[in-house]
Amino acid sequence: MQQNHHLIADHLSAGYGEKTILNDVTLHIPHQKISVILGSNGSGKSTLLKTFCRLLSPTEGNIMLDGKSLPTMKSKDIARTIGLLPQSSVAPEGIKVAELVSRGRFPYRKFMSPLTSEDYAAIEEAMAAMEITDLADRSIEELSGGQRQRVFIALALAQQTDILFLDEPTTYLDIAYQIEILDLLKELNHCKHTTIVMVLHDINLSSKYADYIFAMKNGHLIKEGTPEEIITADTIHDIYGINSLVIPDPLSKSPFVIPISSHDAAKGIS
Amino acid sequence: MTTEPSIFIGIQKRRRQYVSTLCLLLLVLCALACLNLTIGEKNYSIYQVLHVLTGTSQEGAYLITRLRLPRTLAAILSGIAFGVAGNIFQTLLRNPLASPDIIGVSTGSTVAAVYCILFLNLSRGIVSVISVFAGILVAFCIYRISYTDRFSANRLILVGIGMQAFFNALINWMILKAAEYDVPTAMRWMTGNLNGIVTDSLPLLFLVVIFSLTCILLLRHGMQSLTLGDEYAIILGVRVRIVRAALILCSVMLIAFATAITGPISSIAFLSGPIATKICGKSQANILSSALVGALLVLGGDFIGQNLLFTRYPVGVITGLLGAPYLIYLLIQNQKGGRI
Repeated sequence: MQQNHHLIADHLSAGYGEKTILNDVTLHIPHQKISVILGSNGSGKSTLLKTFCRLLSPTEGNIMLDGKSLPTMKSKDIARTIGLLPQSSVAPEGIKVAELVSRGRFPYRKFMSPLTSEDYAAIEEAMAAMEITDLADRSIEELSGGQRQRVFIALALAQQTDILFLDEPTTYLDIAYQIEILDLLKELNHCKHTTIVMVLHDINLSSKYADYIFAMKNGHLIKEGTPEEIITADTIHDIYGINSLVIPDPLSKSPFVIPISSHDAAKGIS
Repeated sequence: MTTEPSIFIGIQKRRRQYVSTLCLLLLVLCALACLNLTIGEKNYSIYQVLHVLTGTSQEGAYLITRLRLPRTLAAILSGIAFGVAGNIFQTLLRNPLASPDIIGVSTGSTVAAVYCILFLNLSRGIVSVISVFAGILVAFCIYRISYTDRFSANRLILVGIGMQAFFNALINWMILKAAEYDVPTAMRWMTGNLNGIVTDSLPLLFLVVIFSLTCILLLRHGMQSLTLGDEYAIILGVRVRIVRAALILCSVMLIAFATAITGPISSIAFLSGPIATKICGKSQANILSSALVGALLVLGGDFIGQNLLFTRYPVGVITGLLGAPYLIYLLIQNQKGGRI
């Protein structure tokens, strides 16, 4: 099932109304890797993700999947290749978890026919991967924030796409849930070789989990590379305009950023 | 089969429960239809009715085949039409207030119909067609007016309620201006009434109900994806605009054709979906269940209005009485949640 999908943004610009947010971005999504898009608020990270997932049409440029421009392809074919966990998800009240996850099978379903055994297998696998099998018969509003987020990731997994985008999958979750979800995603990338692209706000978590980082500012892609290449005091200053100290994480050896505040300087620590 | 029992069993169980609830609703509907055919000014036994229907007996044939049968069939068909259309609107706009009889779509059809009857003296067939187009036009206008930079369901509902008030005023004005002898015909359009249904108008309604219901059932997976929001629907590969337009078009057709024959029977579109959802749960699409609930409400309302009260009331009066308290309840509930 796993194919070598090439997903490329080619001189991509997009925005809302007259306002251009994404400006002439060209990038190639690294195959079977975990990529993280970093950038300050309003730098165009979410816009980039939305444009990749057809939620926003490019004003200029193209998104190419395996050499074909997205608008020329069938929506269901794209939906079998590219998935997205949006920033916020609203479930219809009262729906059971199993049925909600089964919605992810839409691109595979035929007119009128019930769920097939492949559908059930995919739903089961997705729910097992997110460790929510026990919650199958519960209603969505009974669940905690972390459980709900896992249900929605399971929905995206049931879609069985080779490329999965996630827009801030850890926002609103406490640190334990953040680590749990990122570990599950790492596992998914490792076992199923799913290409993962996500927007994260936490630089240190990005550095810990990413294979590759795209740094964005004001709608431009300003730098890309491995965490070691990107997470440097200079680049962090370029992206966020803050001074920082970068040291190797004692456990993973990945770069670890300590922001420097004006109070630190006053105490003479820097 | 490599299926995990718990997930498979859970989904299957809820599916079976849904199907058995549908069967139960169908049984109740049949029983109610029998009541409507047998009881009235003159009572017949079920055997007599069967004999008349199979043509082996002539006793009471006029009453049964000319009056009660068309009336019962019209009640069932219009109930299905209103119930399904209401549920589609409520589901697509994700708000129980968004039923076509609250946001002006039904009233838009009614305005056109009343105008054609009172001032142009057109026949029923043409009136139905014109009211369909009026309904579609009104639905489109409400959509356009409420669409500024992006689609907002809440704005659409508010615009629709405004349109509704405007159309009601128009209808009142037309009835005041109309020739006196036309007013009884036009009054049908104020409440919804099953009196004087003629058999020839039913085949068209039947075809419209079958056609629209089939289209809606074919699109139900897409509709279920749309309940997660437009973003999810696009990600899942639903052609959102086409699916939504088709669903709205089918619903407006159902509403307009049913309205042209029975008048706007109040509250059916508004109540059927929520009742069906309450009975069957939110995990199902609830298209057939709201159809059956709609038919039950109209048939039951008509039975009560005709037989159980001191005077005969049109069905719309009875169902309207059901709708008002529910509307107030919804408004209070929604206010608690901070929504419109």
